[in-house]
Amino acid sequence: MIKITDLEKVYRTEEVETVALNKLSFEVKHGEFVAVMGPSGCGKSTLLNILGLLDDPDAGSFLFNDIEVAHFNERKRADLRKHNIGFVFQSFNLIDELTVFENAELPLIYTGVKAAERKKRVEEVLEKVQIMHRRNHYPQQLSGGQQQRVAVARAVVNKPKLILADEPTGNLDSSNGNEVMQLLTELNEQGTTIIMVTHSEHDARYSHRIIRMLDGQTVTENIMI
Amino acid sequence: MFTKAFRRLLSNKTFSLLNILGLATGITCSALIFLWVEDEVTYNNHFTHKNQLYSVLENQTYNGVTSTFWSTPGPLSPAVQSSVPGIQNTARMTWADKQNFSYNNNPIYQRGAYVDPAFLSMFSLTFLKGNPAAALTQPNSLVVTREMATTIFGNTEDAMGKSVKVNNSELFTVTAVVENQPYNSSVRFQWLLPFAAYEKNNPWVKTWGNNGLQTFIQLAPGANTNAVNKQLTQLIRTSEPESKDEAFVFPMSQWRLYSYFNNGKPAGGRIKDVRLFAGIAWVILFIACINFMNLSTARSEKRAREVGVRKVIGAQKLRLILQFGGESMFMSFLSVVLSIGLIYLFLPAFNSLVQKHLSLSLIQPVHLAGLLSIGLICGIVAGSYPALYLSSFKPIQVLKGFRDRQNSSASWFRKGLVVFQFSISIILIICTTIVYRQVEHTRNRQLGFDKENLIYAKLEKNVQEHFSVVRDELVRSGVVTDAALCNQNMLEVGSNGAGFEWQGKDPSVNPLVSLIATGPHLLNTMGFQLESGRDFYTDAKADSASVIINRRLANMMGKEGQVGHYIKRAKEQYLITGIVNDFLYNDMYSKPAPLIMFCMPQLTEVLMIRLKPSDNLISAVGKVETIIKKYQPEYPFEYNFTDQSFNTMFFNEQFTGKLASLFAALAILISCLGLFGLSAFSAEQRKKEIGIRKVLGATVSNVTALLSKEFMALVLVSSIIAFPVAWWLMHNWLQNYEYRISISWWIFLLAGITAMLIALITISFQSIRAAISNPVKSLRNT
Ligand SMILES: Nc1ncnc2c1ncn2[C@@H]1O[C@H](COP(=O)(O)OP(=O)(O)OP(=O)(O)O)[C@@H](O)[C@H]1O
Ligand SMILES: [Mg+2]
Repeated sequence: MIKITDLEKVYRTEEVETVALNKLSFEVKHGEFVAVMGPSGCGKSTLLNILGLLDDPDAGSFLFNDIEVAHFNERKRADLRKHNIGFVFQSFNLIDELTVFENAELPLIYTGVKAAERKKRVEEVLEKVQIMHRRNHYPQQLSGGQQQRVAVARAVVNKPKLILADEPTGNLDSSNGNEVMQLLTELNEQGTTIIMVTHSEHDARYSHRIIRMLDGQTVTENIMI
Repeated sequence: MFTKAFRRLLSNKTFSLLNILGLATGITCSALIFLWVEDEVTYNNHFTHKNQLYSVLENQTYNGVTSTFWSTPGPLSPAVQSSVPGIQNTARMTWADKQNFSYNNNPIYQRGAYVDPAFLSMFSLTFLKGNPAAALTQPNSLVVTREMATTIFGNTEDAMGKSVKVNNSELFTVTAVVENQPYNSSVRFQWLLPFAAYEKNNPWVKTWGNNGLQTFIQLAPGANTNAVNKQLTQLIRTSEPESKDEAFVFPMSQWRLYSYFNNGKPAGGRIKDVRLFAGIAWVILFIACINFMNLSTARSEKRAREVGVRKVIGAQKLRLILQFGGESMFMSFLSVVLSIGLIYLFLPAFNSLVQKHLSLSLIQPVHLAGLLSIGLICGIVAGSYPALYLSSFKPIQVLKGFRDRQNSSASWFRKGLVVFQFSISIILIICTTIVYRQVEHTRNRQLGFDKENLIYAKLEKNVQEHFSVVRDELVRSGVVTDAALCNQNMLEVGSNGAGFEWQGKDPSVNPLVSLIATGPHLLNTMGFQLESGRDFYTDAKADSASVIINRRLANMMGKEGQVGHYIKRAKEQYLITGIVNDFLYNDMYSKPAPLIMFCMPQLTEVLMIRLKPSDNLISAVGKVETIIKKYQPEYPFEYNFTDQSFNTMFFNEQFTGKLASLFAALAILISCLGLFGLSAFSAEQRKKEIGIRKVLGATVSNVTALLSKEFMALVLVSSIIAFPVAWWLMHNWLQNYEYRISISWWIFLLAGITAMLIALITISFQSIRAAISNPVKSLRNT
């Protein structure tokens, strides 16, 4: 599903030039659950942003479902993104002014799904992440774990083929973290490809494969049993 | 405190710039208006006896309608002086007029009046040369102003004792030079001549029946004006037994601003405009202060932490109020400084707009105090709410992570203020449009004659006597179609009279009829339509007992309003030889009054000339001038284009219109500065939300719409508030005009859409910038 070759990303500020990704290559197949690990600042988030079509690489190739997307313009990327990719962030990134239901509904609005259909699908996913009883609450009224479940619900409501998660358990205690990992595993079992950045070896064990990064390059790939 | 304020100012450049720019614009605009107001309310303030001076006015009733006139009979003044107690002084003055003055054979027209000698001391003129006691005592004395002395003699020194030929006949000798009257004086003149000299050539001023002079009275302090009024009325009625007129004294303090009368009763006057404009000045100032309030409270989130920390370390609420108040005061005074520059910059343009000679002088206590108070008021108004709001933050609430929520009370307050700003802007847009359309509507009204290519010139006796020769020559020159004599510019018919009779007239009907003295060819020259009958004969003498009347009068006369019938006044009887269409004069907004034209070229003073349409009217006028000059070489040829005079008749309306559009533009400008700041704030505040939405697939237009929507809703609400208010204002205003437009709905729509568009463009700078920003950046570190 994803194949990157010699991917490069360099951040230039006035004084310094930071090579965030340095000729990075790997492949992720349909239905895989991949964990990305590495020390802080090694380029994990940068990688995820590029894979999520939020940012473009400076060089290299990025095949998404066998289509070269490295040089897609903003509009094409946005289009591809909203139909195929869901995001889960460390800090949840829910919109404070919207209710749980409305937060989960947003991606459907942007893909132009009709209201009745939206209602059905949002209720479905909220049910799935067991937060339906809180559908009219605002994010601040929820615990961190509950918020992250809403974020997961929002990420999957569009039935994306790929979920990108950047330290999804980073702000959660272990029991809440496990709940979220459990959810991701279920989704993966139902066929969704997942790429997850994490600092936790414990969480990484939920995945099939770990890509370890250092200074913008892959160092090893462990296959989990 | 100010160094701190200054540091903060520098640290928030855009915000500070928006605040100061908005406030300075508001202050400049309101200061200019206040200068105008000052000029109006200080009218005649320079006269020493201003509290004792009065003008005598007369109420005359025709057909049940009472009109108030500023003209009085000539013998009134001497009679009053000798018989009414409590009167210190009286003086007569003719209506200011242009006369020809010739020194060393250089003829020049100057404006002035004939006055009684007492005028000089009553109006406390400042004498540069000569003295008030002796200046007008001789029948050939001449008092000139500094301005006229400089024009004719080069300076004031050389003027004294010089002889000047007036109207090409008598010599007058300069006996005094007085200071020019200020621009805001009700009595403005370049020269004064002794009333005796006027009386000699105008025997009618000796009669009670002719009201043609102004009478001024200086009462003893504390005199009972009611008693004086009674005696004045009595005096007139005893001297002229049929008269039902009522005379009264009208104080100088009301001449300028309260000069309107409706059916004999005081009906305000310019004071209405003064109040309106002063009100608008305050509103504009407030609109500018609103920006300050909005931007300050909007930014409060950023400052909330500071407040929290300060409170935790023990700052008193009062101290915080003072700190924030001090900051706004500082901004306000910076704006005042900036606006002083702007006032100087825009004053010339403003002066030509309002046709005044206003000036700002920082050494003048009133102006300095005015600017300081504006600064103070703005500082207080603009700073009070933010100071109270910011200082009331609770430290715990703030340090735990304060957010100025979308629906907090502060945010509602801000929205209310924005709605206020835009309501005012939209109201002003609507009013401007309607005033403009009303003026255009009237300017394009069918006048009943052709005002293009028509000039009129003041002329002297020679031309009247040789009129037919002059006319022939003019027509032969090839540039003139026709010419006619007349007693005034046809747009302003100044004489009128009552007491006309016809057979079978209803005795209760006694219309006030406009009177024109003219001769043959006027109808053709003006382009009037003769509905029946004929023009006056070329040999004017043959028609000395004939008149031409307008349709209005003919209708009033019923059966008798026909060619061949008669109209009478006192012992005179006139044959109606023609009836002309109801052409417009005097008041372009209503129906013309009944009118009679007499064939009396001997009473005319004006030559109306119809030029052939041509690309080069100036050269045509040159040819006319050469011909006229042959007959009156001693006089300069002064002329006016009728269409230009016509345009000046709309001065008041155009003035209101221009000012209203200026106010509208400024209100919009200031409101948009505020909106610009608020939308920047909103985009900043919603940065994270925008990032999230973009990650989830929102397009640039989705996000732009999202950000613009809330402000558009505010403008929409403003429109809904503005529409009925504007309709009501304009509906009332239009009632002043008989000939008026109806208020069309599309003006409202247009104003609403205009405001929306302007607001949208303003907001879109910020919202598009936010929409195209990279979401990755806004989501980092969150
Ligand atoms: N917008 C940017 N401008 C400049 N440098 C950047 C930018 N974004 C990332 N970097 C730099 O690129 C490198 C990789 O950053 P990235 O956020 O991908 O690291 P990370 O692996 O996600 O770290 P962490 O585990 O702490 O989240 C870092 O050195 C970072 O400082
Ligand atoms: Mg990271």
